Amino acid sequence: MNRTIQRTTMIVLMSLTLVGGTVDLSWGILDQLLSPPAEKKPSQSKGQAQPSEQKGLVDGIGGLLGAKPKDLDLIKKGLKAAQALQPIGLEEEIAIGQAVAMEAFARFGGEYKDEALTTYVNLVGRTVAEVSDRPELTYRFAILNSREQNAFAAPGGYIFVTIGLLKTLKNEAELAGVLAHEVAHVTQKHMLKTLQRSAILANVSEFSLSAMNKDPRLFSNVIDAATEMLFEKGLDKEMEFEADTMGIEYTYRAGYHPNGLRDYLATLKAQEGMADSRFFSTHPSTEERLRRATDTATRYRGASKYPYLTERFRSRMGQA
Amino acid sequence: MRRLRLVLVMLTLGPLLLIPAALFAQTMYVSRDEVKVTEEKSPTSKVVETLRRGAQVQVIEKSDRHVKIQAPSGKTGWVFKFTLSDQKVGGGGGNLLSVVTGDTRIAAREAGTGGSIRGLKETSERYATAKHVDQASKEAVQRMEDRVISREELLRFQQEGSVGEFAGEAP
Repeated sequence: MNRTIQRTTMIVLMSLTLVGGTVDLSWGILDQLLSPPAEKKPSQSKGQAQPSEQKGLVDGIGGLLGAKPKDLDLIKKGLKAAQALQPIGLEEEIAIGQAVAMEAFARFGGEYKDEALTTYVNLVGRTVAEVSDRPELTYRFAILNSREQNAFAAPGGYIFVTIGLLKTLKNEAELAGVLAHEVAHVTQKHMLKTLQRSAILANVSEFSLSAMNKDPRLFSNVIDAATEMLFEKGLDKEMEFEADTMGIEYTYRAGYHPNGLRDYLATLKAQEGMADSRFFSTHPSTEERLRRATDTATRYRGASKYPYLTERFRSRMGQA
Repeated sequence: MRRLRLVLVMLTLGPLLLIPAALFAQTMYVSRDEVKVTEEKSPTSKVVETLRRGAQVQVIEKSDRHVKIQAPSGKTGWVFKFTLSDQKVGGGGGNLLSVVTGDTRIAAREAGTGGSIRGLKETSERYATAKHVDQASKEAVQRMEDRVISREELLRFQQEGSVGEFAGEAP
């Protein structure tokens, strides 16, 4: 009798394991990883102190750290502004993107005028963007007439790649990987998040098109900060690593070989110190990126069935 | 003894067979317009229904790149997995507040920009004038806005390369 119960228990446990195991077996590996973490929203119980009321807290901690009253006022103003700042909407995001895009053309040799090649870059870019986490946005891709290797994304879905970088690529999967990295910056709103944290918007309570039209200096200051970040300083390195991970995921979702971005990083690594590129100064260490990208790309099982599309890439690049 | 064992096994396993459909039925949302529900796991197989963005579907079965769903109409078929979102589509989101609060619902108003021609915004125009941005750079951005790629052209390109919805299929 005991043996019967033991066997039955084993069968039940095995069945439960099998049923549970099939539930999410077939989803992409990174689906879970890429799900945004559930953020804890601070509960605001009745009578809870608001930033403007936090005299005791800010003054107390500031006092302990030896901060001057003038500095404490600045901290309190910052807290108040952070609470009051209205969300930046899509219209404002596009306006920022357009202005940054103009600066990109102005600083990187202008537009590379090859309609067929630009259409090709847009087709690869759209293939990747439509499986991204922000598929409803229209992404626009352009080629910059610069020999240096570079690619960047402005808010609103304006994405750029230089002809110098395009000529370094070996296949369409690499192009998809590079564009997917830039698409990820847009889907994750990396630049907007950084601007939001910057001093430029610290004392701004409204960042709407009408507010910017009333105060053009505010918009101009935002664009200055955005272009400095994009073309000179670079984004936070964790944002770059995140864009690599998500870019590889988007490349895989789009049906390209997920090694695309990794392979380009390997080329970049080999050229370090020789290539004409601001990529090295605006991005984290290529060695670290390559190590992480290799680790991420190898997690995709069955990746070998996805194409690199070397021939199509070569024929579309033509005489460029 | 053997009969008792059989009864015990049936009593425990029987209800388990009923659990998956009821317990693991998952609701998902269509994340873009014109999503085709097809009879087979292929975009070239017979179209059962076309779904609009935001439609709520029930997941029946999942494969590598496709999901078998039940549409709101009750019809069943396969859709490309990456046209579905587990987050409700539409309403709010799409702004910095959503980033800060973690609300990643897809903003309904963003759909309005899909594939459309947008002009330069007044704010961007004013910026260009104030900063003396050269005409060529301004026109280049306008050309970016003007370039429209049709759904048909994109699908043809994807089919030729066996990518996107056509991944895994012979070109």
